Amino acid sequence: MLNIVTCFKWVIDEAYIKVGASRELDLEWADYKLSDYDRNAIEEAMRIADIEGGTVTAVTVGSSDATKGIKDALSRGPEKAIFINDPAFTDLEPSQTASLLAEVIASRLQYDLIICGEGSSDLYAQQVGPRLAELLDIPCIAFVSKLDIKERQVIAERKMEDGIEVVTAPLPALVTVLPDINSPRIPGLKDTLGAAKKSVISIGKEELTGMAKPHLETTAIEAATMERHCIKFNPDAEGIKQFVDALLKEGVMG
Amino acid sequence: MDFKLTEEQELIRANMREFARQYVDPIAVEIDENSRYPAEVMAKLAEGDWMGMPYPQEYGGAGVDYVTYACVIEELSRSCAATGFTLSCHTGLASGPIYYFGTETQKQKYLAPLCKGQHIGAFALTEPGAGTDVGAGSTTAVLDGDEYVLNGTKTFTSNGPVADTFVIFAVTDKAAGTKGMSAFIVSKDTPGLKVGEHFMKMGIRASQTSEIILHDCRVPKENLLGKEGQGFRIAMQTLDNGRIGVAAQAVGIAQAALDESISYSKQRIQFGKPISKNQAIQWMLADMATDIAAARFLTYYAAYLKDQGQPYSKEASMAKLFAAEMASRHTSKAVQIHGGYGYVKGQKVERLMRDAKITEIYEGTSEAQRMVIAGSILR
Repeated sequence: MLNIVTCFKWVIDEAYIKVGASRELDLEWADYKLSDYDRNAIEEAMRIADIEGGTVTAVTVGSSDATKGIKDALSRGPEKAIFINDPAFTDLEPSQTASLLAEVIASRLQYDLIICGEGSSDLYAQQVGPRLAELLDIPCIAFVSKLDIKERQVIAERKMEDGIEVVTAPLPALVTVLPDINSPRIPGLKDTLGAAKKSVISIGKEELTGMAKPHLETTAIEAATMERHCIKFNPDAEGIKQFVDALLKEGVMG
Repeated sequence: MDFKLTEEQELIRANMREFARQYVDPIAVEIDENSRYPAEVMAKLAEGDWMGMPYPQEYGGAGVDYVTYACVIEELSRSCAATGFTLSCHTGLASGPIYYFGTETQKQKYLAPLCKGQHIGAFALTEPGAGTDVGAGSTTAVLDGDEYVLNGTKTFTSNGPVADTFVIFAVTDKAAGTKGMSAFIVSKDTPGLKVGEHFMKMGIRASQTSEIILHDCRVPKENLLGKEGQGFRIAMQTLDNGRIGVAAQAVGIAQAALDESISYSKQRIQFGKPISKNQAIQWMLADMATDIAAARFLTYYAAYLKDQGQPYSKEASMAKLFAAEMASRHTSKAVQIHGGYGYVKGQKVERLMRDAKITEIYEGTSEAQRMVIAGSILR
């Protein structure tokens, strides 16, 4: 029997972000969604719990805008959720999110395995998982594309640039998962209706020791732009030479 | 007044969108081309508890309100109107009358397998000589001992070729006119029930439509739905209910036409700029978006009234009329925006234009809706 914790983030759905004339982001019509890789994390938690037995608790940090996210997460199988909820908990940087998660998980949950998505759909800093493991002083395995539990050991395949690395770690441990690890379920109608009846424990700022100061300051957020040029080359030897020179000049080829 | 869906409704809508993207989009062109019933999608819908949406959990349904139901039908139809209609026909037309008029025994025996998606349902009302003029039906049901003997031919029966359970309307007392019509629950394996000609349709081609031929089809007396003579009322109430589904289907079709048109007009370059920069295109898109919003709110309003237990017949007709006609109009505009490419098979807007037309015809033509609306306002 394993106590599995899975962390998730309720993020702006990038499909709804509009870019203004001066590259500012227009979030007026933005809708939110469960961060993509966190769906994989929840699915993996459910898969392991199905095989090994145990309970799955979903944990998130956010403001009360995230209540829909809690229902979304619970509709994917976890038995209960912990909502670290305060108006101040928006736009946190990863170190702050990790410290809040660590305090709550360490003080209120028994855990054998913590599963996080590799990175969030919005910032993709890939920091919350490793920082959380560090604060809890447990092993962390990142870039996981396959996960098994055997005799209280995590056996994980890590997808590296030059191949697959297989590593093991004793429980308790934290893994961050890639989207290759599984296909997240699409909650059925009764899953969504049932989610509203599951237990959600809300923890406010006043119940916590305090939030660390941010290490980073966000000065501006602008849409990335991709420079495009339209240059025509003749289909002859001279044209090809000019084409190669142009690629070299742009740094596309070196 | 609150125009906002609940969090559950928004999640359910998003889940159906994802379901449709994952399971329906990849096959939509093929099932249209081959007029093939998407059995694998229907099985997935059953797995996700989408087959008995508005009916109580005690019968295997999910017990959601009709606003949620409309959202789901819209999202499914946005990917494939035929699949959306197969579901709304099963849920609204076939399961509806059993839920609203069936006995407890009938509900346990017939409604529960329908809600769980173990069975597919069909509604057999239309006859070759009785379309909008429902009362002109000539299929008869004669009581003989403990059985009714049904004879006649039903036509344009949606889900007919794939249904396990039929709700069939027949005349039990010719002299009584519309008050002489009765409804029966009939299993597909009842001797004397035969699926006749399959119709090859212009649109919603993956939805299966056929004749149902009844020849000395002996139906147990206990399968009478409601009371003898109540058939016309059952049919009319079921169609009121079904119109919310067709309106939602038409909104989904039109939304898909808008989605395609926005995407195409932004990437189609003519005269050195995307055609979306042309006011002629912008106005078409603006009109589409406006009509879709209006149709969606009419549909939700009819569904809301039904959820509140208030009369909704006029509003369901208005929603169905407006949504169907705007879907036809705007799918045609979407083809126009796509130019020659829109006229080619395999392009979604071509299918949408064919699919939209039926929404002006079935479950009461636009003319029949106007009769209902006029009858209601001239009272």
